Amino acid sequence: MAADVHSKGVTWDTPNGNLAPVEHLPNSRSESPTPGLVEGTEPGASQERAMFAHTQSFEDLTADVELTGSHHSEVEEVEEEQQGGLEGGVEGGVEGEGGGGEDAAVVEPKPEVQAVVREKEEDVTSETWRSHKKHVFVLSEAGKPIYTRYGSEEALSSTMGVMMALVSFVEADKNVILSIHADGFRVVFLRKSPLVLVCVSRSGQSDGELWRELHYVYYQILSLLTLPQLQRVFQQRQSFDLRRLLSGSERVTAGLLRLLEMDAGLMLNATMSLPLCSTTRNVVCTSLQAASSKNLVFSVLLAGSRLVALIRKKEQHLHHTDLHLLSNLAASSSSFRQGEGWTPVCLPKFNASGFFHAHISYLEQASDLCLILVSTDREDFFNLSDCKQRFLDRLKKRNVYQALQEALHTPTYPVSQVGIPELWHFVYKSKSSGLYTSPELPVPYRTEEEQERLMELYRYLHSRLHHPTRPLRSIYRCTNTENLLGWSTSGFELYLCFSPLATKALAMSAVTKLLKWIRKEEDRLFILNSLTY
Amino acid sequence: MSAMRIDAKVVMLGKESVGKTSLVERYVHHRFLVGPYQNTIGAAFVAKSISVGDKVITLGIWDTAGSERYEAMSRIYYRGARAAIVCYDLTDNSSFQRARFWVKELQTFEEHCKIYLCGTKNDLVEGDRSARQVDYHDVQDFVEEIGAQHFETSSKTGNNVDALFTKVAEDFSNSAFELLSAEEKGVNLDQKKNSYLYSCCHH
Repeated sequence: MAADVHSKGVTWDTPNGNLAPVEHLPNSRSESPTPGLVEGTEPGASQERAMFAHTQSFEDLTADVELTGSHHSEVEEVEEEQQGGLEGGVEGGVEGEGGGGEDAAVVEPKPEVQAVVREKEEDVTSETWRSHKKHVFVLSEAGKPIYTRYGSEEALSSTMGVMMALVSFVEADKNVILSIHADGFRVVFLRKSPLVLVCVSRSGQSDGELWRELHYVYYQILSLLTLPQLQRVFQQRQSFDLRRLLSGSERVTAGLLRLLEMDAGLMLNATMSLPLCSTTRNVVCTSLQAASSKNLVFSVLLAGSRLVALIRKKEQHLHHTDLHLLSNLAASSSSFRQGEGWTPVCLPKFNASGFFHAHISYLEQASDLCLILVSTDREDFFNLSDCKQRFLDRLKKRNVYQALQEALHTPTYPVSQVGIPELWHFVYKSKSSGLYTSPELPVPYRTEEEQERLMELYRYLHSRLHHPTRPLRSIYRCTNTENLLGWSTSGFELYLCFSPLATKALAMSAVTKLLKWIRKEEDRLFILNSLTY
Repeated sequence: MSAMRIDAKVVMLGKESVGKTSLVERYVHHRFLVGPYQNTIGAAFVAKSISVGDKVITLGIWDTAGSERYEAMSRIYYRGARAAIVCYDLTDNSSFQRARFWVKELQTFEEHCKIYLCGTKNDLVEGDRSARQVDYHDVQDFVEEIGAQHFETSSKTGNNVDALFTKVAEDFSNSAFELLSAEEKGVNLDQKKNSYLYSCCHH
């Protein structure tokens, strides 16, 4: 306590106390950042304390399965032919006929909802089932099916039995099965007692990437049950059918697997913020900060999967994985639109052994602004409901609600704003703030297949930059359809996609220009101050 | 400014996918969502005002998730509830067994909670009588035995939905009046004072 008294005059109002290097302060922010910047000074770096639990990258997520080798930094150039288009596998998103509504009040479901149901009804002996690009299975140590992405679990009990047999066979020799590579397929195993997770993929992703995805599925299960409850049910009965406890979560898991394919944030371990003018953002943040309650730990305002504001309790940090799980949960049930949701939720990266209680609601019924209030008290519903109301009233009183709604119409920006002609798209992550920014996908990437293909290219760059034994500092790759550059420094990670006519020299000069542009726009693109209650 | 005043807490209980959310959706928003089943996560709360006679009563409706995962949590939703709408699917006999479980639970822990048994998806059995798996008269007998009310509704057509919630509100309005008058009679200022002093002396 004495120490507190002494340091009072110095630290209370200074950002980050004495822990912040001088470079973190805004007045030393360089106008023309160079790639040599250290962490904390890159464009988009938070000016105060970090908002998220600090993670460099996905190594943190998979640390327990991967060996961290010697970190050579190399620069590699890859010139290659385009690897012939994607072979099959991509499921057409064609929707069946809508069927005329029976009365005006009858509302048709969203296409993606129907897709999930169709996937679960698939025949596991059919060719379509076999040709899926990525299967995910979860089974118990007794070999009992718990989850399959496609088809029904019952129909796969013998397949899952074989998987468990493989795991136990290798373990009998005091060894661990990690993956099997055969015939263009990768079968990756993740052992998380009392569960076994298996991914069968022909997507060309590395083992590390697939492990990361399986970890996400594992954390998803923990977020519904907590680790002690999961262990308890299997201690009591080894042959327990976990599907009983997971029933109703199929759509949440399916949504997560979809996000893993489409959302760069889960790959980068970062969150995208909604571009918003800094004065509006400040009012939103302070209003949310003011709407506090004794047991509140996190207040998160989301627009779709984009972060608008995050307020946290002092000393408590939200992990990206937990935030992605929360935002996926909120997106996977329409029930949050109909009323205010109140649900127990475990944030496994924060603490896998207990439940938080989340108040999930949309600011207004038709709005896309979703507010998640996380509390430690399960009796807190009406307090949090009141917090939400106070927040909304304050936004309206200070005339920012309208501005916020308008910002939702332009959730992204065209890449042309940067002013680099051959640049088609980019992803920029500021490591110290844990936020990333990316423009809207331009013309060649308007279809879902093309978007997935671009994500695959980025994932390839990412896996080379983060290779467990031979990580690269930068990588330049030419294909027939685009030229790509990946660059990782201690401050940022950058992935650029150029037209095939771009040159390497142009790409290098584009980096400097882009960093300068991001610095200029950083208070709009990023959330620079992280507030606590 | 702050949250709405809630007069009566109403809780929806019942097996997964019997249509609790659809029932609330029909009553509150007058619509029916077609298509694949969407699970409720945890519970959803919605407030709705309804006029009974010359009074306006605000029902705070807790729509709970049917999944077994949330069963341990369910007490926080029905504690202090003035009414419970226990739903079962007319085309699914196991859902009625589950409804019996909820009735028992309520009788044990919430004796002041009025129970309304609600058979859902009435439109399915109207079109095809053979689809019915829960006999009307069996339920009626059960309802009389436990002193509950019985409704058969269809959220798709809206049949009987308003009637159900109106009945809930009316019963609450009547019982609230009874409770109020009973309290008025029972209040004795001296006695209250004494008991207050009494407790004071012992602290």
